[in-house]
Amino acid sequence: MARFVGLVILVFTITVPPAFAQVDLSGVWGQRQHEDQQERGPGGELGDYLGIPLNDAARLRADSWDAALYGLAEWQCRPHGADVMWRSVHPLRVTKDIDPVTGETIAYHFNFDDLLDRVIYLDGRPHPPEEAAHTWAGFSTGKWEGDVLTITTTHLKEYILRRDGVPRSDLATMTEHIMRHGDFLTIFQIVKDPVYLTEPWILSTDFQFDPRANTTPELCEIEEETDHPKGWVPHRLPGTTTDAEEFAKKHNLSVDAVRGGAETMYPEYRKTLKPAAGTLGAQAAASQNAGPARAAAADVRVLKIRDNVYMLSGASGNMVVQTFAQGVTVVDTGLAQNADRALAAIKQLSTRPVVHIINTNADPDHVGGNEKLAAAGRRIPADIVAGDAAGAPEGPTIVAHEEVLARMSAPTGAVAPAPVRAWPTDTYHVDYKKLSAHFHGGEAIQLFHEKAAHTDGDSLVWLRRADVLVTGDLFTTTTYPVINLAAGGSINGVISALNHILDVAFFDYRSEGGTMIVPGHGRLCDASDVAYYRDMVTIIRDRVQDAIRKGMTLQQVKAAKLSRDYDPRYGSTTGPWTTDMFIEAVYKSLGGK
Amino acid sequence: MLASVAAVFATPAAAHHSFAATYFEDKQQTIEGDVVQFVFRNPHSFVHVEISDDKGGAQRWAVEWGSGQQLSGQGVNRETLKVGDHVVVVGSPGRNAEDHRMRMRSITRPKDGWKWSGTFQ
Repeated sequence: MARFVGLVILVFTITVPPAFAQVDLSGVWGQRQHEDQQERGPGGELGDYLGIPLNDAARLRADSWDAALYGLAEWQCRPHGADVMWRSVHPLRVTKDIDPVTGETIAYHFNFDDLLDRVIYLDGRPHPPEEAAHTWAGFSTGKWEGDVLTITTTHLKEYILRRDGVPRSDLATMTEHIMRHGDFLTIFQIVKDPVYLTEPWILSTDFQFDPRANTTPELCEIEEETDHPKGWVPHRLPGTTTDAEEFAKKHNLSVDAVRGGAETMYPEYRKTLKPAAGTLGAQAAASQNAGPARAAAADVRVLKIRDNVYMLSGASGNMVVQTFAQGVTVVDTGLAQNADRALAAIKQLSTRPVVHIINTNADPDHVGGNEKLAAAGRRIPADIVAGDAAGAPEGPTIVAHEEVLARMSAPTGAVAPAPVRAWPTDTYHVDYKKLSAHFHGGEAIQLFHEKAAHTDGDSLVWLRRADVLVTGDLFTTTTYPVINLAAGGSINGVISALNHILDVAFFDYRSEGGTMIVPGHGRLCDASDVAYYRDMVTIIRDRVQDAIRKGMTLQQVKAAKLSRDYDPRYGSTTGPWTTDMFIEAVYKSLGGK
Repeated sequence: MLASVAAVFATPAAAHHSFAATYFEDKQQTIEGDVVQFVFRNPHSFVHVEISDDKGGAQRWAVEWGSGQQLSGQGVNRETLKVGDHVVVVGSPGRNAEDHRMRMRSITRPKDGWKWSGTFQ
């Protein structure tokens, strides 16, 4: 009898699942192409914005989009973003990470032919800070709600919602509810985008358990496709396309309906429809969305980029700190009033002194902390004769292009814009400057002079061993590029600098990772983010150039709102750099009168 | 019937671009020139052909073809075409005229009469 009871207990122990058991999603799931096969396989048609709650800015971006972009090196190997991948042709392979102690599933991997490997963390970890890099997969955390796995995804790279160019911004977030019913898996996704959508984009997709599905990894290497001048960005000028009319005519639909938008997605819309094949109506005049809220300046935040390289944000302009055995190198120093906080943050990263400062330009939000950081540091090599006119010890080297020194200093007897101890001590006036690795902990640092860009003294700074690029105001993720015409800046110089960044930067794989790029303001990036920005700046330059060619005045160009598809992401009607100021700078920079 | 069912449910190589958005699929164009590069790969192969332009100069065209996986099943391998082969290509022209790009519909090598024609995703 005792043996029987023991056996029962043993069987019970083996067969009763532990309390944390949930539905198991692991396995290979085949996509079922009866759902939108044309769209997910060969691809949809131009001008089809049906069923997407997009705004007017998104329409213009899609109207301007040219599929020839996919021939550019920066575009060729991009996978679909996490939101669009569900509607691709790729099967889903789900694996899980098990905690070896508790036996709990702590993460799922959603892998699509190795194009995209989404990690869904189930261990309760927080999402990264806003200044962290974005990826095609985004950052996802999951939580079981009964038998439904609910996933929250942030930090997505910009992508398109449909392969005719309907955009989805990098500020979008996604919620997914995943349900398993036997051999079927239903994914219910809700995408919210404050830049290009007026309502959430909601879609459901089904998969079927299919262990025989072909999950061969789809590899990609960038190849030379077609010949074009450097910096060529294919796009179509506003008002030059008739895709919507052609699509509507082909399918006997109303043009207003195929332009999409939330109002077209409800049954009531049918009552407002006029006969098909009309002209573009009310939507063309729809107002643009207000721009997304900008984060207010907060304490200096530290984001680790490499083992000994960090991005500091919150001191206005971004700073980069490289630590090594003998000291600390700092690229840009933020605003003067934030210098104490910046210095405190640096001291948390290293007990060694600041020995080198590099400035990317002469703006107060990039050189403002020079004086305080210099006073707290010292120079290496230490055998250089120390001291200044006041007998103070020699501070760190401050390296910049010589136009930066010219803008911060003044001749003897004149009042200088910045105190002497903040001035660059080591300048260059040629195309580039190389700093000895010996004095930077083995890190070879190269400064490239980007001529007539944001100003006439901008440096692109490359930490070669760490493979980190610091762009200063040549590139930001928060505004249109600031072009200081009075200080020698120009739109073509900015575009040239952005193309140079893309020349220098490498991808790790799938147009992602590799060289990490610190913008003058905003979040950490890689080359695909710069490519999006380069595309945008080039497209707006081309539109303004076209307007000048047509004889339009500055006021007419401003009134035409030629950047309205990007304004919700980068534009502003208030503050130090408004959309009008940017357009005016572009116009004048291109010779508009 | 069986062929069309297979076409719908087979897993094609992923084109991250849309063919309809990239090419005028209802138009055809013919080019004749020499192969300067043959990239046999997934998700799509490319045949680069150099032709003479209107001014007598050289113009390079990129002709998009099926994936290595798809073409292998149709008797095409990475040695099928060699640099210097003179070919006649019929395809759907790209929507961007500056891009000198086509989607392959057929390719012929007159020297030995070799020909491929078909469709791919």
